[in-house]
Amino acid sequence: MMRIRPISCAALVSAALAAGPVAGEQIRLGADVDAGTLDPRVMRDTTAYRVNNLLYDGLVQLDASLQPRPDLAESWTNPEPTVWIFTLREDVWFHDGSELDADDVVFTFETILDPDLKARFRSLFTPIETIEAVDERTVKITLKEPYAPLLSYLDMGIVPRDYVEGGGDLSSNPVGAGPLKLANWERGTKIVLEPFSDHWSGAPEIDGFEFVVVGDNTARAQAFEAGDLDIIQSPLSPQDIGRLVADDRFSNAVMGGLGITYLNINVSDPLLGDAGLRKALSMLVDQDTIVNQIYEGVDQVANSILLPSSWAYDPSITQPGFDPEGAKAAFAAAGWTDSNGDGILDKEGANLGIVLSTHSEDPNRIQALEYIQAIMLENGVDASISISDWPAFSAGVRAGEHQIALLGWLNIVDPDRLMYAQFHSSGTLNWGGYANAEVDGLLETGRASIDVGDRTKAYRAAARIIAEELPYFVIAYQGYQVFHTDAVTFEPDARGMMRTAIGK
Amino acid sequence: MAAYVLRRLALFVPMMIGIVAVTFGIMQLLPGDPAAVLLGEDASEEAVREMRRALGLDRPWWMRLASYYADLFRGEMGDSYFQNQPVANAIAQRLVPTLEVAFVALLISIVLGVALGIAAAVRRGGLVDAASMLFAQLGVSMPVFWFGILLMYLFAIQLDLLPSIGRGPPLLFAFGQALAGRPAALGESLMHIAMPALTLGLTNAAVISRLVRSSMLETLGQDFVRTANAKGLRPARVVFVHALRNALLPVVSVIGLRFGALLGGAVLTESIFGWPGLGQLAVSAISQRDIPLVQGIVLTFAVAFAIVNLVVDLLYAVIDPRVRLE
Amino acid sequence: MRHRGGNLSLIVGGSIILGVLLFVALGPLVSGYEVDQLDMRNRLQLPSSEHWLGTDNFGRDLWTRMAVGARVSIAIALSSVGIAVVVGSVVGLVSGYFGGWLDLVIMRIVDVFLGFPPIVLALAIVAALGPGVVNLSLSLAAVFWTEYARVVRSVTLAQREADYVTSAVALGASNARILFREILPNVFGPVIVLATLGLGTAIIAESGLSFLGFGVEPPTPTWGWTLAYGTRYLRAAPWLSTVAGLAIMITVLGFNLFGDGLRDYLDPRGVARRVRRTSRT
Repeated sequence: MMRIRPISCAALVSAALAAGPVAGEQIRLGADVDAGTLDPRVMRDTTAYRVNNLLYDGLVQLDASLQPRPDLAESWTNPEPTVWIFTLREDVWFHDGSELDADDVVFTFETILDPDLKARFRSLFTPIETIEAVDERTVKITLKEPYAPLLSYLDMGIVPRDYVEGGGDLSSNPVGAGPLKLANWERGTKIVLEPFSDHWSGAPEIDGFEFVVVGDNTARAQAFEAGDLDIIQSPLSPQDIGRLVADDRFSNAVMGGLGITYLNINVSDPLLGDAGLRKALSMLVDQDTIVNQIYEGVDQVANSILLPSSWAYDPSITQPGFDPEGAKAAFAAAGWTDSNGDGILDKEGANLGIVLSTHSEDPNRIQALEYIQAIMLENGVDASISISDWPAFSAGVRAGEHQIALLGWLNIVDPDRLMYAQFHSSGTLNWGGYANAEVDGLLETGRASIDVGDRTKAYRAAARIIAEELPYFVIAYQGYQVFHTDAVTFEPDARGMMRTAIGK
Repeated sequence: MAAYVLRRLALFVPMMIGIVAVTFGIMQLLPGDPAAVLLGEDASEEAVREMRRALGLDRPWWMRLASYYADLFRGEMGDSYFQNQPVANAIAQRLVPTLEVAFVALLISIVLGVALGIAAAVRRGGLVDAASMLFAQLGVSMPVFWFGILLMYLFAIQLDLLPSIGRGPPLLFAFGQALAGRPAALGESLMHIAMPALTLGLTNAAVISRLVRSSMLETLGQDFVRTANAKGLRPARVVFVHALRNALLPVVSVIGLRFGALLGGAVLTESIFGWPGLGQLAVSAISQRDIPLVQGIVLTFAVAFAIVNLVVDLLYAVIDPRVRLE
Repeated sequence: MRHRGGNLSLIVGGSIILGVLLFVALGPLVSGYEVDQLDMRNRLQLPSSEHWLGTDNFGRDLWTRMAVGARVSIAIALSSVGIAVVVGSVVGLVSGYFGGWLDLVIMRIVDVFLGFPPIVLALAIVAALGPGVVNLSLSLAAVFWTEYARVVRSVTLAQREADYVTSAVALGASNARILFREILPNVFGPVIVLATLGLGTAIIAESGLSFLGFGVEPPTPTWGWTLAYGTRYLRAAPWLSTVAGLAIMITVLGFNLFGDGLRDYLDPRGVARRVRRTSRT
């Protein structure tokens, strides 16, 4: 059902003011890709993620420390482990003038769960058994099993049911209840947003917000320096960072991001199935040089699969460190020595040959891999490099055809997101087929338990095993860096969200 | 004439069929699954299978190729996998910027190329000749993207004269505004287009200047020019009215093909200057395995190339009565 | 007049090519560094007496990398143009000599390849085959071959009607004999000119593909790759891209001048020029 909003005084006034020639300054942010679609349910790229965060409100918003805080839901209760009840705010309007109610929330999640929508984030919500509108302002979510990460994923933008069912196309004509609305979208060039004067918390006090698309990292930095952009953020080219930091026209912030760069060591590979060999190879990864020289110190040397920004983080869990001498011993322990004196380690007459792979889109990853290869060659491993574009590379990795692949994970708002699917023996992203019953049990506990203390214990224990057995060697915690001019003030957010820049 | 045009148009058909088949074949060979790319790295195998079905990728290749031809026959190019819109729309949004920059680049290269070519021919053997021929040689020897980056470094960063990236208001629109007495948009538009167009036009300017020079030298040596000189006509008049007209004929004949080269060259230039054109779209479509979009872009390029050539051939026949269309 | 220009072009172009070859042969020997010798403490160093052209992002000696990289870049150029020449010549000979429907079909295929934006075609093929020197050469050859097919066809068409060919046919010479003995020699001149110019184009194309991320995989040191990543260090280490860019430019200039000079001797009628002018690369 749809109620039409009475036109408010504020809207009339702002319309009157807007009638004159407006020469307002926009906040211009450099984005690395254009959004594919502005329907939050099916969005795929980081630009859509960030634009939609401004266009749509969710039940919750995650604050800078990733804690959920009320947004459309003014409060919630969790009467039993599998039941969540949300109470919606009153007088919330969509950009098209219709009112947001519990029906829209139910519609949003039901459509995401419908396989036909092809929602990328569907798997995050599959633990939901039912979602129902108890009344206009109350939504009840029943889970199949306790699912602690749920709240962190409920920042998903709520879409207007009537608009969508009436044939509205959210992907190019988005209608949300967020503080900004779409003014203009020049595909491939820029996405222009303008204030939504009827936002439940009042209109944001800016003239507009533009996402300007510049694909090349260096070109984007140059556009920023030339004054054509007000904000640029990760991904940035490490080569530009020192210069931008030194430039006193700009402010900047570096913080731990929500991603890792890691080596996926394929445990189903005949050679790499040996944990001893995995350990020896890991000792040849010079994390410090990769992080501080190649990535120019924006990232952080990683010590385990748990992120420093997470409540589960434990600095005492460590992976094998860079130690060529120790590696020699470790290789020998695994049976690999240079018995024929050709400079390459061998075992039972076969030389130790390893293929390192990554994708061509990221020059820094290529450099990191090139560096790892060089050290491996110096230490008797006949390492070669294979680089192909992302689709080809990822197809090989998904099929478990790789030996050691350099890649990353993003948006890890909860440890579950980086561990369950990756290391559980039945996990959907466990490409190398890693299986350890103890880890399985710990990950199940971490997922089911609501108590943060229990979850922390479980994830730490699992992370310790992973750091030992090394199906992953985590090279770096990706840093998030943002530069901005004095025209903008905001509180940086590791996900690159811009709500604070518009005062929301 | 009409029969000639029809025959040329008829030749489009096998070309298009072939281009679709070759593109399809290459895209088939590309490793990587559009469905997996679309869903992102955290998608399960099951989700990928569902997506393949939704995209129709689970059908055998010959069926997909046949249905693409059938769609094309009905004037349809299908939907882009990644853009949630028809391929035709996605291309339409990007075609204008590409044509815009290619057109300005062509203009720059003609003006620059013809001026240098004439100067070199008239002052043959002198410093101007040497300098302009050096330019011509360097212009075709320089990697275009390097030239573009140097331009950006100089004009956008060091001198801060031009915007480093992006496109201003659409050129035609800005032109209309200027005619209506509002020149601001045109200035904005030209500032943005200057570097990409210069980058794109460099090689062309070099090629044209050499062509104009040699063709001018040939013409200046011909009887009618000598006659004109002998009759005491002013040298400038001889050069610009008599010689130039004849010297430009071969230039016209290559412009069409050079325009094709410009469309293709746009791939690199657009990547450097963040120009929202078809070239950049082509690269991203290939690297996303957006098969319908790649097909559409390649076809668009091919048709544009073929049409420009046809028009140039017709134009050439009109300008030079000695040429007969066959 | 024309021959003097041709001579000068030949001499200057030839000297440049010789210089590049000398650099390729001797460069790595005199530098005292290995091509893959890392030195992270001395990365991105300015040119000095230790490192004549400075060091790259891994502290490797740029002089050595440029010299070794030249081999790779020139190898790609030679093999891509070589494949294109062979394929294009065979196709052109067959098409021009036998004519008829065969010619019609072949020329339609040539049209198809001409219809592609060259870099898009090359890029898609590299993506399909995977990176590497051989695959890169194949993908460039797929772009270049049409040029040779068109030149050879047009020369063959002209020769087929020439008196000595018609008389050879009358004397009962076999097709193969006529093709190889009578027609092929006439094709050499324009093709060699075109191929010399094509070498330069190939070197530039390799750098363009590297820039788009589709070049030869590291740590193989190609010029294109050095230029492509050098542009990322444009501010911190401008000499990286400058050295690579100049190396490419000078070498291509050498091939172009040499090709121009050859033209006056090998292709006086300008067959190659006519085709090249209309080519799209």
